[in-house]
Amino acid sequence: MVVLLATTALVTPLSCKLEPRVPELVYSPNSAEIEKNDDLAQDEAAQAQLEGLLQFLFGTPQAPSYLSLQGWGDDEFYPDDWGYDFVATDDDWWDRLVDSNRRAYARQIEAIKEGDFDAVTESYEAPGVWDAWLDALANKPDDPDAEFDEGGSWRDYAVSIFENYYPTLRDSAELYRTQCFHCHGAEGGGNGSTAEFLNPRPRDYRHGTFKWTALRDKSRPRHEDLFRILAEGIRTTAMPNFRRLTDAQIHGLVDYVRFLAVRGETERLLISDFNEDERLSTQMVEENYQLVIDRWHKAADLVITYDGEVPRATPERIEHGRYLFTTPGEEGGANCVACHGTTGLGDGPSVNDPDNSVDDWGNPIKPRNLQSGTFRFGRRPIDLFRRIYVGINGTPMPEHIGQQITDSDGTVRPLNEEDVWDMAFFVRSLSTEPMESAGTSGPDREHSDH
Amino acid sequence: MKFNLFRVFVVLLFLAVPVLGVWTFVDAERWKMWFPEGVTTYAGEIDFLFDIILWMVAITFVGTEFLLVWAIWRFSKKEDGKVTYTHGNHTLEVVWSAVPALLLIFIAFSQMGAWSTIKMNFPDEGPYTVDAPMMEVIAGQFDWWVRYPDEEGNFRGEDVIDVPFDIHVPVNTKVVFRLKSRDVLHSFFVPKFRLKQDAVPGMSIPVWFEATETGSYDLICAELCGWGHYKMAGRVHVLEEQEYEDWLSQKRSELYAND
Repeated sequence: MVVLLATTALVTPLSCKLEPRVPELVYSPNSAEIEKNDDLAQDEAAQAQLEGLLQFLFGTPQAPSYLSLQGWGDDEFYPDDWGYDFVATDDDWWDRLVDSNRRAYARQIEAIKEGDFDAVTESYEAPGVWDAWLDALANKPDDPDAEFDEGGSWRDYAVSIFENYYPTLRDSAELYRTQCFHCHGAEGGGNGSTAEFLNPRPRDYRHGTFKWTALRDKSRPRHEDLFRILAEGIRTTAMPNFRRLTDAQIHGLVDYVRFLAVRGETERLLISDFNEDERLSTQMVEENYQLVIDRWHKAADLVITYDGEVPRATPERIEHGRYLFTTPGEEGGANCVACHGTTGLGDGPSVNDPDNSVDDWGNPIKPRNLQSGTFRFGRRPIDLFRRIYVGINGTPMPEHIGQQITDSDGTVRPLNEEDVWDMAFFVRSLSTEPMESAGTSGPDREHSDH
Repeated sequence: MKFNLFRVFVVLLFLAVPVLGVWTFVDAERWKMWFPEGVTTYAGEIDFLFDIILWMVAITFVGTEFLLVWAIWRFSKKEDGKVTYTHGNHTLEVVWSAVPALLLIFIAFSQMGAWSTIKMNFPDEGPYTVDAPMMEVIAGQFDWWVRYPDEEGNFRGEDVIDVPFDIHVPVNTKVVFRLKSRDVLHSFFVPKFRLKQDAVPGMSIPVWFEATETGSYDLICAELCGWGHYKMAGRVHVLEEQEYEDWLSQKRSELYAND
């Protein structure tokens, strides 16, 4: 009896002790790439040098930071604060972020306004805001409403810490560790512990290529594109939405994903450029780093927009879209049938083409079943317009704008924006009923598609 | 005599179970551990049922615990002489089988009203009915999507609205929706609505509620659905009628946005 009681008394507090189960992260080297470069694969000293170099450029998962190259400050480019300036076309994002912070930290803000500073306790995974608050509390003047820091009172300043919270890379790395790491891996290689079980597999950021963008030239995505992926998730994949986080946290995660992509791509370029003569020269490192940053930096200029209102689907447009879709390339159509098949089921002849079987990440390609109604990056007309316009990065889905097509009357001309709309409407019509037949569906095809 | 202290300790230890057990319930409200307020028309019925069962369980629990403690105290005393053997007591056995059976029958009958209100009596008139529901809620590993029909009420039309995570509904309106699952079993659970309904793959299950207060309420998945079950959350926003209309028309215009 005594033994039993003693054991219970001993075990209970131990099992109740909450230890974080997520381990401390390390950035591991991209060994698959290293193996491809014989010079580097046989040179362990160079591999160690590369690892040190990457740490010098990008820090560790506990202290991630971009190394600023000379001249960036002159151009007013501060990569650690990249997120602020990178939201290209959306003007209200900061207001929404502040709103979202106000909701998330309502309890703390209320307590500060009422002067009950002990009631300001930590909440949400935002270490940065907590540190800033403790710092402010340490510097609190006797009268919280006395003037403080140019104009405003200390109380206003304290409230603004919560309202204007935008996570640093370091905060976001911590959040990444608890939310993203188990699929996407510490260095964003899409090789976390749960990745094996997922189809499609999690994205490997280190290519720098992201599928879902609204940009020309196979560019890097905008901040907004990645934000949308995090806020809405990707349907029928294991990527869920993260709306339970605050806007600020999602913006921060986007910054961190971009950071990992820049780091990973720089690493890939350095590995592939490494050779016996030049080794890892400063010039080579700087050039590659600058190149990767530039690829991300120009993204905002290339947004695909349509001048004018989004058109509405009409039977004529759908019919023309059907013609372009179903006519093979050699007969002057847009050649969609080659992969998606005549009925859009994703069963075209090129599915069996061995040269065309994997995407840039080495994952098997499966053309979308367009009858399922699932469109990974949205089913609004503008989403499908952009998809057909520019294709899907890293996959055989090509850019269609400007492609040579033959009209039914025999004229040869480049495919234009109106044609893209027609194809978009045809594709949408494959998964929707005509508007006349109302009522709900049974268990519909979209939700059983997997 | 020398074991007396140990006997007292053991008795007090076992006595602590009913005392602390009852205390957690009595004092739960102060620690904000009691039910959140109910904000649907049928929340009161569910709470009433919960209270009935809670009282029944509480009385039984306290009674048996005190019996147990008394037995520990009474029979832990070392006594000389032979122990007696018993082959059971027929009357007692009948009583302890019959009483719980009657209680179960009582529970079965007393819940019928609430069951038929929530699961059977769907509104047959008003803006939303089982055949013309307001929305479809689609559960999938590991998120919630809600689909609002196009202006003709068609869920397979061109202009349906798909929204992840956030469900918007008007206040003081009988809302009917259909619940579906994309992959495995999930369960639609809004604690403040006192509403819980499994989502079954292949089925389109009608669900209704009428929210009585505006606000945002947590939606969680209440059926273990895989490794990401814990993160399968959503939010139900109950809006004023006009706010809801505005929200819906804004969503309709966003469908043809050109951003």
